[in-house]
Amino acid sequence: MKKGTLILLLLILLAGCSNKKSEANTSYRIAVITMMQGGEFWGSLKNGARSARSSTGAVLEFFAPVNESDYEGQIRAVQRAIDQYFDAIVLSPSHYSRLEDVVEEAREDGIKVVLADTALRNVSADFHITTDYRQIGRAMAEYAFTHFGDDEPVNALVIGSMPNTTSMTNLVESLVQTFSGRANARIVSATYSFTDEAAAREITRNALQSDPSINVVFALEEYTAHGVANALEGISGIHFIAFGTTQYEIQLLERGVIDALVVVNSFNLGYRSVMAAIDLLNGNKPAQKMVDFDLVTKDSMFSEEHQRLLFQTFQ
Amino acid sequence: MSRQHPHSIKTILTFAIAFVSISVTLLISAILYSQFSSTIRENATVSTREIVRQVNANLNYYTNDILTIAGYARDLAKQTNELSRTEIERRLSSIVDSRQDIVCLLLFDLEGNVLLSTTDAPKRSAAEIAKQTWFTRALGGEGNFYFTGPHVQQLFTSSYPWVITYSQQISYTNETGELSQGLLLIDMNFRTVSELSQSARLGSTGYVYFIDNNGKIVYHPYQQLINSDLFNEDLESAQEYIFGTFTNTFEGRQRLVIIDTVNNARWRIVGVAFMDELMAGLNQYTTIMLIVLGFCIVITIVLARMVSAYISRPIRELDRLMNSVERGDFSAPPTVGGNQEVAALSQTFAVMVKRIRQLMDDIVTSQEMKRKFELDALQAKINPHFLYNTLDSVVWMAEQNDTEGVIKMITALAKLFRISISKGRDIITIGEELEHVRNYLIIQQIRYQDKFEFSITMEEGMENLPTIKLIIQPIVENAIYHGIKYLQEMGHIDIKVFRRKPGAVVIEVRDNGVGMDEQKLATILSFDGHHPKGAGIGVRNVHQRIQLYYGSDYGLELSSELDVGTFVRLVIPEHKPIQPIKVAQS
Repeated sequence: MKKGTLILLLLILLAGCSNKKSEANTSYRIAVITMMQGGEFWGSLKNGARSARSSTGAVLEFFAPVNESDYEGQIRAVQRAIDQYFDAIVLSPSHYSRLEDVVEEAREDGIKVVLADTALRNVSADFHITTDYRQIGRAMAEYAFTHFGDDEPVNALVIGSMPNTTSMTNLVESLVQTFSGRANARIVSATYSFTDEAAAREITRNALQSDPSINVVFALEEYTAHGVANALEGISGIHFIAFGTTQYEIQLLERGVIDALVVVNSFNLGYRSVMAAIDLLNGNKPAQKMVDFDLVTKDSMFSEEHQRLLFQTFQ
Repeated sequence: MSRQHPHSIKTILTFAIAFVSISVTLLISAILYSQFSSTIRENATVSTREIVRQVNANLNYYTNDILTIAGYARDLAKQTNELSRTEIERRLSSIVDSRQDIVCLLLFDLEGNVLLSTTDAPKRSAAEIAKQTWFTRALGGEGNFYFTGPHVQQLFTSSYPWVITYSQQISYTNETGELSQGLLLIDMNFRTVSELSQSARLGSTGYVYFIDNNGKIVYHPYQQLINSDLFNEDLESAQEYIFGTFTNTFEGRQRLVIIDTVNNARWRIVGVAFMDELMAGLNQYTTIMLIVLGFCIVITIVLARMVSAYISRPIRELDRLMNSVERGDFSAPPTVGGNQEVAALSQTFAVMVKRIRQLMDDIVTSQEMKRKFELDALQAKINPHFLYNTLDSVVWMAEQNDTEGVIKMITALAKLFRISISKGRDIITIGEELEHVRNYLIIQQIRYQDKFEFSITMEEGMENLPTIKLIIQPIVENAIYHGIKYLQEMGHIDIKVFRRKPGAVVIEVRDNGVGMDEQKLATILSFDGHHPKGAGIGVRNVHQRIQLYYGSDYGLELSSELDVGTFVRLVIPEHKPIQPIKVAQS
């Protein structure tokens, strides 16, 4: 044995001791880009993302345009995330085709892209986490049907938020499909409010005026639901099924204005999106699983599991 | 190292020292490690238990506070005939307002109608209230109380705070002045419990949660994750161990779980700490210890090598010396330093070598002396015989009155002897040697009355080259006595001196005498040969002398043919020229 061998041995030993620590310190930078800045749904999603942050040590930054309809603003946000060399992007595209280019660019730059809630038409990201919007549509329609006898006609007004998102198109398609499967059921009109409360109110008022036979209204987003609720003030005999968990909606549910609320566990959505991004960055495959949702009625709203889902942002 | 090759002392020592030292180091390290790890584990357990106990104590203070407030409210409820409802509500409100953690305090009758309230918010119907869990669970006798887990408050319309409810069945004085049963409610902010729980940091991701007596989660910091199936809690083992401390492995992580009961609330507090975090200190210690251990091992090996080198170096040195002595080199001073034993050994060896050297020197000296005696004896042999013959010739010439011949003869004889004596030296120049032989030939020419002629030639610049003396004369003598003497015609003796490569000097003596046959030629140089008539004795003497003096590479080369002549070459090495002996001219 020469002295060189001894020194080598020592170095190997030291290296063996020191490389253990390096793994724990890697904190990934992840951009979470939602459709808009406010909103219970997005708030809860961000809470989920924050919860994932505190359990992994990742660095999160949240970007969103002020309005959900501002997909240009969202494109700019993604571009900014690319320019700032984020490791991963969690994105809920507010347009299923306009964001394709920028997502491709991000992926070409080696940024992992996880799509949360909504997706893109022709471009696949590294991972996609969503809830089963087709099943939600079916459940909403079927719940509406329970209020009517077999021969009674069901005439529905559907108001979505954004026309060009996969969640809305899936929901509307599923509603249309389920309605077509029932005799005497038709969708009078399916339009979009662009997340504008006033627009939703006007759409509802105009629709009810032009077609008084409408007896079911589906509002597929919380701000839209608020507008619809305003329009339905003082009008009875119309069943109202809405998306969301805002305090106002809960009050409306208790007051019987809203018959049922569809609650998507967006906390779960946010948590799992960030976890999936970290998994991808670590070279692991994230678990493929749908995010849960629930249809909450006045009777079930205070049951233990619904309390936790419905009032999760008040905790 | 090959298998047959025995290991060196150095290797054996290195391995022995290193093996023992490293074994001891490892043993000590292992003992220290196990001691330290058990201490850390113990400390971690103790401190975790302490934290859980602290959280529990805080919660205890808190619930006691609530119970105190409840007691105060109970007293007030019995004084409805003395104090107005507004006054009682004002007093209660002042308590509730002074505390941020209490949301509201209400008293209901057993149907759920509100009797006292600290808030004016619109209430839900009595039917709705009376069916809620906190209401039903507190019923069952005066003093019965209940703490709910976190839930959404359902007392007021359009308000949904998360609260923890304390409810107790109490008696109050009704409008008729009689005692009647009612239900007291105190709603506390959910944050109180969540903050209590979150204030406890067990390691970096450990946490505290509460379960009720049915093992259901009352509060869990990861409630939302649990709701979403993103987090699992090991409720089974928490239910199994009612109280105390245990460790188990859940979802691949070793956990230290501490369970304690919460006073008043029929809850149990469960602290969960993760072993890998608690033992993080141990990892650091392990890292440091491994580094130190590594250094120790390296230093041990280096030291072992140094010590073994120190011990074995003198032995190797001695070995090297012995080897050089074995090869015949006695010149190296055979003393070696180092440890006492080897030094002593070396000294003994040195004495031995010195003695051997002395003995060898003695042998060389005696050999040299012997050779000198031999040389002297050989040189001495030439003279008397010749002198007799010469003097005989001189006498004969004197009788003939040949004065001139006598003078010539005596002169030559004198020169001959002068060179023979040459101040006692063995080495003379070739010039002197040739002068000697010339005088000899002159004498012999006279004696044999011009029976032969002779010539002496020498290459330029060889005059002063050294040679041992009296080596040509015996050859010439031999040529005359055994070759020329028997000739009918004129004899010739030619002497030539020249150089031969590499570095040799050749003195050639050629005669045209009767020559020798091969048999005679073969025996003439051998030492054991004993010839009739003593032929060749002088020649052999010359050969022996040259070989004695210059070594076996030199000597005589002989060739002879009957009736043709003999050809003798004396070969000696060429050395640096020397000065001829200065002799006073006669």
